Amino acid sequence: MLIEFILNHKPVAVEAPADITLLTLLRDYLNLTGAKEGCSVGECGACSVIMDGRLVNSCLVLAPQAGGSEIITIEGVRGPDGGPNDMQENFITYGAVQCGICIPGMVVAGEALLLHNPHPTRAEIRTALAGNLCRCTGYQQIVDAIEATARGRTVDL
Amino acid sequence: MPRFDYVRAGSVHEALKLLAEPGLASRPLAGGTDVLVYVRHEKPPFDRLIDISRVPEMKVVERRGDEIIIGGAVTFTEAAESALLQQVAGCLVEACLTVGGPAIRNAGTLAGNVVNAAACADSLPPLVCLDMVAHLRSLAGERSLLVSELIQGANRTGLQPGELLTHFSFPIPPTGVRHAFTKLGRRNAQAISRLSMAAMGRLDDHGRADFVRLSPGAAMPTPRRFGEVEGLLLGQAPTDELLAAAGAKTAEVMIAVTGRRWSTEYKEVAIQALAERTLRRALVG
Repeated sequence: MLIEFILNHKPVAVEAPADITLLTLLRDYLNLTGAKEGCSVGECGACSVIMDGRLVNSCLVLAPQAGGSEIITIEGVRGPDGGPNDMQENFITYGAVQCGICIPGMVVAGEALLLHNPHPTRAEIRTALAGNLCRCTGYQQIVDAIEATARGRTVDL
Repeated sequence: MPRFDYVRAGSVHEALKLLAEPGLASRPLAGGTDVLVYVRHEKPPFDRLIDISRVPEMKVVERRGDEIIIGGAVTFTEAAESALLQQVAGCLVEACLTVGGPAIRNAGTLAGNVVNAAACADSLPPLVCLDMVAHLRSLAGERSLLVSELIQGANRTGLQPGELLTHFSFPIPPTGVRHAFTKLGRRNAQAISRLSMAAMGRLDDHGRADFVRLSPGAAMPTPRRFGEVEGLLLGQAPTDELLAAAGAKTAEVMIAVTGRRWSTEYKEVAIQALAERTLRRALVG
C-alpha cells in the first residue's frame, strides 16, 4: 500500500506492505538507519522517533499508521549547517556517548521533551528518558547534556 | 504477501461496519503497544486491523451533566494532561503517569488497556475505583457495563465480535474526595506492576470517613472494589489501628479469592502495607 507522510519536514510517499512496523519502513524502505531495533517490544527506546510532536517507539507503530503524520527521526535532528545541532554537540561535550546504540533515541527523546517543556528540571529530564535504556553511561552525562541544551536555548532567546 | 491488511476508520460507525464485514477477521488497532507485540510473536489471529486511533468521537474527554466521558482512544498522556481528569479523577491521572515510559504513554489508550485486560494493567484499579462504565457499540446496538464486569479474567473480556469499546463514563465523585494511587514495580519506570492500589476517600466534619473506595491491581484475575475493606472504614475515624486492620483485611480478601499461590508469601505482606498507605493518603492526606 502507498504510505504518505511528512518525514523530517519533507513529504514522502512509499510503497510498502501493511504489516510492517514504522521502524522497518524507516530502516528498510527509506534507508534511515539512525533509529535502531533493540528490543522490538517498546522497552528499550532505541527506535524512538517523534510522531506528531510526541515521542513514540517506532517498533510499536504499524507503518501505515504513519500515513498523514509528521515524523521526525534522528536524521531530521541537525544544525542549520547540516552538522550536529546544539543537543548533539552537548552529547559530545559532556561525554554522553559511549557505545552509541541508544544515542539516536536519547537525542530524539531529549528533543521531544524540549518541544513540550523548554525548561525541564533534572527530575523531568530523567522522567522523559525513562523509556530509553543506556547500558554504558549510567545516564548522568546524558541528563547533563540535555540540561545544558535547555539552558543554552533559553539563553539564546 | 502481507500477513494482514490495514484500514483506517474515520468514524465509529465506519469502524463498526468494517469490524462486522463478513469473511474477514478484523481487529481494532489504537495505540498498538499491545497489538504490535502480539503481531511480532505469533501468527496474527486476524486478517485486518482497523485503525481507530484518530476517530474524533473516541478522542474526547468532557463533562456531560453529572458524568465525565472519556473516549476509548484517549492515550495515557492525554488522560494525564486533561485538566478535567486532574480535577475529578486524580487516581486515574496518577496511574496513567506510571504506565511504561513516555513513548508508551503517548501511544497506549485506556480502551486498549481495558480490552487487553492484563491483570497487572495500571489503569484498571483507578477505573474500577471510579465505578467506570464501558460503553460497547456494534452495528446491532449499544450496551454498557462496569469495567469490573467487562473483565472476565486475565486477558479475557466480555467483548463480543463486532463490538467496539467506544468510550467510558463515570459519575463525578462528590466534592472533597481525595484520590491516591500506588504502584509497586521492580523499577520506577518501564515496570510491570507487581501490585498496585487505587483509593478514594473523604472525612466528614467529625473526622469520620463518609466516602471510601479501594481497588487493588495485579492482585486478582478480575479487578473489583474491596467493599469488605470499604465497609470496615465507613463511619469510622481512620486511626493507625484501623488503617492497619484495613490493610490486613485487604490481604485476607485477596487470599480468599486467589488461594495461596507461589507469590502469596510476598503479596500478602506487600498488599497490606500498600492498602494501608494508599488509604492513609486518600483519607488523611
